[in-house]
Amino acid sequence: MRTLVLLSDARHPVSGRPHLSRLETQAIGLAASLDPAARGLHAGSGEDAVRAGLGHGLAGLDVIETTGEADPLPALVGFLADALGGADAPELILAGRRGEGGFETGLVPYLVAERLGLPIVADAVAIRAGEMPGTLVVDQAMAKGARRRVTVRLPAVVTVHPLSPLPRPFAYGPMRRGRIRRHSPAAEQADLPAVAKMAGHGTVAGRAEDTGGTTVGPVDVVPADERPHRARPKLMRTSGTAAGGANLHVGPDPTEAARLILDYLEANGIRRYGKAPE
Amino acid sequence: MSRQRRDPRAERGIRTVESRARPRLDVARRESPAASGRLRRDPWREWAASLVDETYRKRYDRSQRQMSREDAARFLAARSDIEATAISPGQPALHVVEEPAFLIFAVIEATGGRLSRFDRQVFGAARLLADADAGGGAVVAITTGEIDGLGEAGADRMLALPSANGGQARAAALRHAVETLLPRHVIFAEDGDSADLARRLSVALGDDLMSGVEHLTARQAVRPIRNGAREIGLAPPRLMTIGEDRVKPYAAAPCEARPIDASDFEAGADPAILSSEIIPGDPASLALSETDFVVSAGNGVSDIAAFRELAAAMKGTPGASRVVCDAGLMPRSAQVGASGTVLAADCYFALGISGAPQHLQGIAGCEHVIAVNTDLHAAMIERAGLAIVQDAQLVMPALLALLRERGA
Ligand SMILES: Cc1cc2nc3c(=O)[nH]c(=O)nc-3n(C[C@H](O)[C@H](O)[C@H](O)COP(=O)(O)OP(=O)(O)OC[C@H]3O[C@@H](n4cnc5c(N)ncnc54)[C@H](O)[C@@H]3O)c2cc1C
Ligand SMILES: Nc1ncnc2c1ncn2[C@@H]1O[C@H](COP(=O)(O)O)[C@@H](O)[C@H]1O
Repeated sequence: MRTLVLLSDARHPVSGRPHLSRLETQAIGLAASLDPAARGLHAGSGEDAVRAGLGHGLAGLDVIETTGEADPLPALVGFLADALGGADAPELILAGRRGEGGFETGLVPYLVAERLGLPIVADAVAIRAGEMPGTLVVDQAMAKGARRRVTVRLPAVVTVHPLSPLPRPFAYGPMRRGRIRRHSPAAEQADLPAVAKMAGHGTVAGRAEDTGGTTVGPVDVVPADERPHRARPKLMRTSGTAAGGANLHVGPDPTEAARLILDYLEANGIRRYGKAPE
Repeated sequence: MSRQRRDPRAERGIRTVESRARPRLDVARRESPAASGRLRRDPWREWAASLVDETYRKRYDRSQRQMSREDAARFLAARSDIEATAISPGQPALHVVEEPAFLIFAVIEATGGRLSRFDRQVFGAARLLADADAGGGAVVAITTGEIDGLGEAGADRMLALPSANGGQARAAALRHAVETLLPRHVIFAEDGDSADLARRLSVALGDDLMSGVEHLTARQAVRPIRNGAREIGLAPPRLMTIGEDRVKPYAAAPCEARPIDASDFEAGADPAILSSEIIPGDPASLALSETDFVVSAGNGVSDIAAFRELAAAMKGTPGASRVVCDAGLMPRSAQVGASGTVLAADCYFALGISGAPQHLQGIAGCEHVIAVNTDLHAAMIERAGLAIVQDAQLVMPALLALLRERGA
């Protein structure tokens, strides 16, 4: 299954230097388990951040050179639309669920999926090929350790959850051997309206028009409003029942104690244990 | 030039306040409002408003409302004819919005038909925006089925969208609802399916999404960017997801949660999703940091085999205090506390644990704590929401027997 991993321009949380985000390293691990020839795709001003992906299991890397903090979306969509129409069309596109070090909205994979008219499945912890050809089985992480197993038709976009398996260890040799292909965004960008039309999303094209074609997606950030972050305390979690007095039982009969405990658990919705006593 | 003489008697007269037993002087009272233009706090009135019930002993509930200026004004008006108990959280009245000036959608998950902490916080955020300034907004709970306690959580209306197969179909139904009812804000939890739905809706509407809001007031919403080094603050946009434990849940008078007719909102199926099934988590193999319910043994438990059996029967993840792990009775990965795992669980069941500070640090996030201990004065007994002073060796077999009897 031909697989492509979207690699963002992540920043290290402490040093602020470009690095490969851990989540995307996990995505590379998942991709490499499905496709030994998995490739990475990055739109940005250089490959410093994402080179390490080759050492974690990618066979090659495509870098679309865009300038500075330009929106990577048109470049990504243009490249992917070309690739999907080509001979070696990718079937699975993996991405992280949130970026790291940028605006961190997690919208890029959704926008890519919508522009290309592909389905998207979020928060994958495990993926494997489905029984029918052209399908994929994705395990989604849900609250409390539950998983949802969905089968999707390929091609599809899948975002990866931090609980997915640990990434493969880094190896220097493969990183040196890996081939990086560079592309310029100009030619591909011109294709965008056609792609948007092809996917049948009139809203997107309309929106691009009325903002003069410059805005390509929802971004809530006005760079001028940026300011240093102020840490705000989270809410305290306090014990459900206040005043231990009422709920203190000194020396109850063990059977009575057991009943109290199970009733407390059921009343607070923690667990259900079969039928309740009448 | 002559100055006007002060008349101390007249000044006293102005400042005297009515009170039950003896005359009281309010030395701070002025004829004109304070120069700052802000209303003064009246601590007497605040205390009176938080009086829960005046029985044998007075009981005040100060946790529920920090007196805001609007509240103070309301109580000022209310005090003359209603008793404090009538507006206290003890016996709250129903909050009804007949003709909403605008709508606010609160999209909740309520897994298993129950509102979670996070769901209540989403309602808290929605209520905050609905009641801001002049108020008059109505909070619409967007659910996928019947859920208890929506009114208490702060929902004026309830819209049960038909349950859909797959996120795309759910987003389409929600988009239809947003386009028909035109809410001023749509609020989601930055978690799981809600976060997914928010992004799908944002893309479908072509509208900005403010994700992971950390600080929310009626005037601005703030979220961190660039690995938490910087932040941005904007007037609350239409689509927002809020971070966990960032907004207080709603705690005043219950609302009515009147159902809205949802027959117009069709849910299709997502053609790309071929099948979907839910596999519940197995508590025995879950990591301590991921599970929702931990059954934990301390030095007071001598029969570890029975404890393991109990944890499995109660469908909880086994944990232990350091003493037990040091003794080699439980693996190190089961240790709860400062030098073990800090839990994110909802419930913690402690058997024979004294509650040393290093241990309590690990369970600071647990909402419900149950303690079984022979020592009435153990710190764990004080921390617990249900405290049982009894021998753990006797309670464990009793629990196992009762679980067997209930067929679990
Ligand atoms: C640097 C440092 C880090 C630490 N980190 C951790 C940590 O991460 N996690 C941790 O757990 N500890 C930690 N500790 C140890 C901690 O201080 C306590 O020693 C430990 O938590 C005590 O464990 P306990 O409550 O099981 O045992 P005890 O303190 O011995 O308490 C046993 C309790 O069981 C009760 N009991 C006795 N018999 C029965 C019975 N038959 N039925 C019911 N109850 C009974 C007793 O009344 C008593 O309250 C740390 C200590 C240090 C110095
Ligand atoms: N410039 C980029 N090039 C390639 N992929 C990207 C880029 N920016 C973001 N992505 C992908 O989109 C995911 C979410 O990013 P974001 O929407 O910025 O939070 C990331 O984990 C990447 O997989």
